[in-house]
Amino acid sequence: MPASCERTITLAGDLHARPAGALAIAAAKFESSIELSAGGSQVDAKSVLGVMGMGATSGQPVTVRATGPDAAEAVAALTEILVEATKVGT
Amino acid sequence: MTGGARVGIVLVSHSASLAAGTAELADQVSGGAVSIVPAGGTDDGRLGTSIDKVRCALTAADSGAGVVILPDLGSSVLTVRALLSEDDDLPEPLAVADAPFVEGAVAATIAAAVGADIKAVAAAAEEARNARKL
Repeated sequence: MPASCERTITLAGDLHARPAGALAIAAAKFESSIELSAGGSQVDAKSVLGVMGMGATSGQPVTVRATGPDAAEAVAALTEILVEATKVGT
Repeated sequence: MTGGARVGIVLVSHSASLAAGTAELADQVSGGAVSIVPAGGTDDGRLGTSIDKVRCALTAADSGAGVVILPDLGSSVLTVRALLSEDDDLPEPLAVADAPFVEGAVAATIAAAVGADIKAVAAAAEEARNARKL
């Protein structure tokens, strides 16, 4: 059974197009499958249109769940992007 | 994934501003890592398409890994087809993606940014057809 890892953070700002792109690009570097979930929708983090379509907004909890050999690194990298890129004013 | 040149993208639209604006958006989303070149409007700035603009954009977008072409509607497709059939001196490989213009451009640019090959970049654009925005 492959390693699995997950972490939930609360968005400081809306998940706009630019952070969605940064997330998809970062996610593509990992072998693990990576899923984002927010507000009842679940998307593949490697799909930029999926991440944008999630429509996650400020104050909403977002869970990053990765399954695979680099799951822990993937969750660390993606939660950092979610926190940094949705800071208000960026 | 390869470490070398990235696939380029050419956006062919009837409108110069639509092509330029879509290129600007895709460029922002992907962090400027991909060569995405607009080819919109006629040579004298009206609504329409220009085979010379597309030819020039293909050369500008190519950095050795080929170019994916996204036409917007109707005669954009005809212009691209005419160019591909009449000009033997274009960058290679080339792929024409049958995809929604804005979503396809964004998805293709992200795929190119992570080093996907031309087939995968064109497929990313075409899969955009299935993405829901609501």
